[in-house]
Amino acid sequence: MTDSGKRGPKKTRTWVLIADRLADRSITVGGVLVIGAVLGMMVFLVHEVLPLFRGGSVESSHVYQLQGKQEPAINLAMDEYKTIAVSVSREGQVATWHVETGFPLEKRSFDLKDKTITAFAKTLDSSNIAVGFSDGTVRFGRIEFRNDVLPEDQAPAGLKKINELYETDGSAVYSRVPGRQIRKISFKLELDDEIQVSESGSPIKVMDYRLTMFGERPKRILLTMDGSGTATMSMTETKMNMFTRKVVTKTSKSSLPPIPDSSDVAFALVTEMADQAYFADKKGIIYRYNTRDFEHPFLAETVETMPQGTNLTVLGFLMGEASLVVGGSDGSLSIYFLLAREGAKTLDGASLVRTRKFEPHNSAVTGFSPGQRGKTFATCDSKGEIWLRNGTSEETLVKISPPEKSSWQALVLAPRMNGILAFSSNGSSGFWDLSVPHPEISLHTLFGKVWYEGYSEPGYTWQSSGATDAFEPKLSLVPLIFGTLKATMYSLMFAIPIALLGAIYTSEFLPARVRGKIKPVMEVMASIPSVVLGFVAGLVLAPVVENWISAVLLVFLALPLLLVFSAYLWQLMPASTAVRLEGLPKFVLMFVLVGFGFYLTYLGGPSFEKFFFNGNFQSWLNGEGSPAAFLFLMTVPLAAAAVSWSFSRFWGYRAYQYIRKMEMPYSALLDLFRWLCIAGVTALLSYVIAVSLAGVGFDPRGSIVGTYVQRNTLVVGFAMGFAVIPLIYTLAEDALNSVPDHLRAASLGCGATPWQTAIWIILPTALSGVFSAVMIGMGRAVGETMIVVMSAGNTPLLDLNIFNGLRALSANIAVELPEAPKDGTLYRVLFLTGLVLFGMTFVINTVAELVRLRFRKRAMQL
Amino acid sequence: MIRNSDTNGTVYHVQGGPMGTLLTIKDFCLWYGRAQALFDVGMGVEKGLVTALIGPSGCGKSTLLRGINRMNDLIDGLRTSGEILLDGTDIYGPDVDVIGLRKVMGMVFQKPNPFPMSIADNVCYPLKVDGVRDKKTLRDTLENALKASALWDEVKDRLQDNALGLSGGQQQRLCIARAIAGDPEVLLMDEPCSALDPVATAKIEDLIDELRGRYTIVIVTHNMQQAARVSDNTAFMYLGKLIEYGETSVIFTNPKVEKTMEYVTGRFG
Ligand SMILES: Nc1ncnc2c1ncn2[C@@H]1O[C@H](COP(=O)(O)OP(=O)(O)OP(=O)(O)O)[C@@H](O)[C@H]1O
Ligand SMILES: [Mg+2]
Repeated sequence: MTDSGKRGPKKTRTWVLIADRLADRSITVGGVLVIGAVLGMMVFLVHEVLPLFRGGSVESSHVYQLQGKQEPAINLAMDEYKTIAVSVSREGQVATWHVETGFPLEKRSFDLKDKTITAFAKTLDSSNIAVGFSDGTVRFGRIEFRNDVLPEDQAPAGLKKINELYETDGSAVYSRVPGRQIRKISFKLELDDEIQVSESGSPIKVMDYRLTMFGERPKRILLTMDGSGTATMSMTETKMNMFTRKVVTKTSKSSLPPIPDSSDVAFALVTEMADQAYFADKKGIIYRYNTRDFEHPFLAETVETMPQGTNLTVLGFLMGEASLVVGGSDGSLSIYFLLAREGAKTLDGASLVRTRKFEPHNSAVTGFSPGQRGKTFATCDSKGEIWLRNGTSEETLVKISPPEKSSWQALVLAPRMNGILAFSSNGSSGFWDLSVPHPEISLHTLFGKVWYEGYSEPGYTWQSSGATDAFEPKLSLVPLIFGTLKATMYSLMFAIPIALLGAIYTSEFLPARVRGKIKPVMEVMASIPSVVLGFVAGLVLAPVVENWISAVLLVFLALPLLLVFSAYLWQLMPASTAVRLEGLPKFVLMFVLVGFGFYLTYLGGPSFEKFFFNGNFQSWLNGEGSPAAFLFLMTVPLAAAAVSWSFSRFWGYRAYQYIRKMEMPYSALLDLFRWLCIAGVTALLSYVIAVSLAGVGFDPRGSIVGTYVQRNTLVVGFAMGFAVIPLIYTLAEDALNSVPDHLRAASLGCGATPWQTAIWIILPTALSGVFSAVMIGMGRAVGETMIVVMSAGNTPLLDLNIFNGLRALSANIAVELPEAPKDGTLYRVLFLTGLVLFGMTFVINTVAELVRLRFRKRAMQL
Repeated sequence: MIRNSDTNGTVYHVQGGPMGTLLTIKDFCLWYGRAQALFDVGMGVEKGLVTALIGPSGCGKSTLLRGINRMNDLIDGLRTSGEILLDGTDIYGPDVDVIGLRKVMGMVFQKPNPFPMSIADNVCYPLKVDGVRDKKTLRDTLENALKASALWDEVKDRLQDNALGLSGGQQQRLCIARAIAGDPEVLLMDEPCSALDPVATAKIEDLIDELRGRYTIVIVTHNMQQAARVSDNTAFMYLGKLIEYGETSVIFTNPKVEKTMEYVTGRFG
């Protein structure tokens, strides 16, 4: 107004325009930021998850020719830091070199006293070895790597440079590590005195060796077969006398029953527990001895693993000795488990079962080396291919095809499974630095059925951590997704009817004044922290429900019946009294009635249990007694719906006309009678259905009901229902309320009752709104964490049983994240869990939102 | 002519329809909470005739109309006194079945309010409410009601289409058809033409003319010409009171109260 004298008739002031544009911009920026944040979250999750599926990669490859003449290796070893390679020849020559460069280190040798090694065995961690000789003697020994970190100034003088990183004094290798320190890798060779194992003095042909430490006292298990075919198992235990503190070494021997044709036997394997011993011949026949009773071993099973004409070329255990890897000259590779099998045709009831099959090599499998921290292993074939595989996922993680096709004679996988060293008899060697961060993860292990070690069949299992290195992580997301869906379904089954009926009641039957007070109360209910709900559910509700389970079940039947029955009784009241009691007295009466209903079920619970469940619900769940009574309870709602529907379909109109014509108390009586008839017919019908279903052998136990666990899905349903009800209730009530009044008036004007109006006009009109309310409730239930953490028992099971626990995706993250090392497999899998959860809630909420938009558009039309 | 200041009671003109009186309203008062909306209304509604309620906005026409089928019951804090007799029984009596009462009284609202369902379902809704499932009865009722409301020819090929797809005038006739389908005795219409254009209005007026004799019709209207054209009797209300009631020709040509005169000649309102 101050700017100029004359103003246009309708000129908007500039600052209004600026403010408007400013608001517009900032709202746009805000919106974009929100969308960006959500997208960023998604991108972040995906980014954290993707490495899981990258498999493995070769970081660097080094193929070189070793200096001097090289003997064929009977053992190849490499330290944890992939620094020193050690190869042992039959004559006891020990060649060592720097792994990455092939730089030769000091040559050493075992003093074999001019004998040649005829058999070689090592423990799973490669550091303990046993060598057998042609005169039937065996010597134990060690190839032990040492890793010392020294301060910089303690480094010896006169080191020779290998490359920029490594230096050597001839035998040990030094490298700089952060913090002005030096890492020294060295190794030590030892060979004990010889022991005569073959009594006949015939050469040791094959053998296997295990060493277990009980504190300071080693226990050695040696399995041998000599040239004459005599198989022996010996156990050397070192014991300390408790009183004299004297160490005694005791060796016991046991000879195994002979094998029919032992000339071809080429493999021997024994377990650390010394309970199983295996021999296998070149044709692929595996002889399994049960040596649990050391004094009386017996040949338990003979298995043919190879087809005719194919040779067995590789046999060995993966870490943990549960997976037996079997490779053949046709390139095939599989894993066998020793499983207790019902009806197994073996002497000890267990049998070797082929459980996993791997991508076959194109030529004979010639080498095998297991990892020491999991189920990853390496194999090579006669064409020089080296493949890194994982036993759990059955995936081939890395395929290495070296440039020059040498035939690898020995192969070793680095202890941390991050490098492979191969050695060929022509003196060339290759080293590949690998990066395989998450070997056991594939879409199949995450979402498919996997046959895990020690399991009698393939399944979906979640078990992320175990006590030992040999533990096989089981990371199937299926039980978790199932748990989430189960918790959601059962809690919605509880929440939807209550929330929707409540919403209908408040929006259609309550006067606006009361409605205005009830809604905020329900909304306050929504603000109860879910941890409180979970806490109360897990610690208070769960024991109460467990104690009063029969009464709890009875409530679901008795309360609705009682309420409907009293509604019919209400009709009997003279109209004038009824009108006088309308409003608050009626409201209070309803609460009293509900309380009375609870009291009744409390009283009736035990006899209900006696009558329906053989006196004890929990033992009934475990399989005692007949399922008929429970089937009866389950079919009641369906039967009631069917009976009342057909009643109103066929006699509804006539009965209605008849009742209308009658005088007041009689018409109400007749109505009550009609209802009682329906109830009676319903009971009869469900009784017939239940008895005939039970007669056919149908039993709900084992599927939707089963053994009772204190923290179970029913409790979760109650607690989560409590969290979800207010949400569904408010949104549904809003949707119902937003149905324009003129439709209500039209329906009532047509002579419809408020209930008919609600069901036929209001609910269908508001259906999309109500649906989206349910979906949003569902989204909440899916993402809900604390309630499931605290009251669901957290057992990752695939079990529909409502009386059993579950583990939800969200709870799984909460429970396991503190134990998951950053960037580890579990850590990333948990992120994947989060991503799946995010996806689920995103889909659910998007559907809800789309439906709601549709609803809003439709509501505009009305 | 009675002056405005001495309007104490209602002025009645000689009444007497051929079929007698169906509804008798006696000393009917109505309160919305503390506010009284109707004051001692008394009138008889002749059976088979069209009775128009006229009066300025806010004078209580809709209130009276909704009082007749007790649609007012839903309103919080509503109180009434006096009686409305239908065939001799008080519809505000303690033993009255309100739902049944509304079935006797079809209602048509100011704004067309078809349900968001098919045309057929809309018309058959009162029967569905009654629990009638018989296909033939439903079909016959549908056809008769649509014919009676002069809508049959326009919609007979799309009975299953959503009723919201009809034009405003068609929707209003559909609402009349729905009201008729319940086989009522009384049709209560609250400004049924106020949301319609002149052509649609004319159609509804023709329809009302046709329904005369079969149903007792009470119609609220702001349109003087309409009241004059379609109604047999007219009641003029003012500030919650019934001022003058009598045959339409008398009310429009020869009213006794000055207020009525002013209103029908368009001097206020
Ligand atoms: N639900 C209600 N609650 C309280 N007062 C109301 C309610 N409905 C109407 N009234 C009041 O009652 C009086 C009569 O209203 P009514 O709707 O009957 O007038 P009307 O004659 O139909 O007016 P119009 O011609 O504008 O439709 C008005 O003063 C109005 O404000
Ligand atoms: Mg009105």
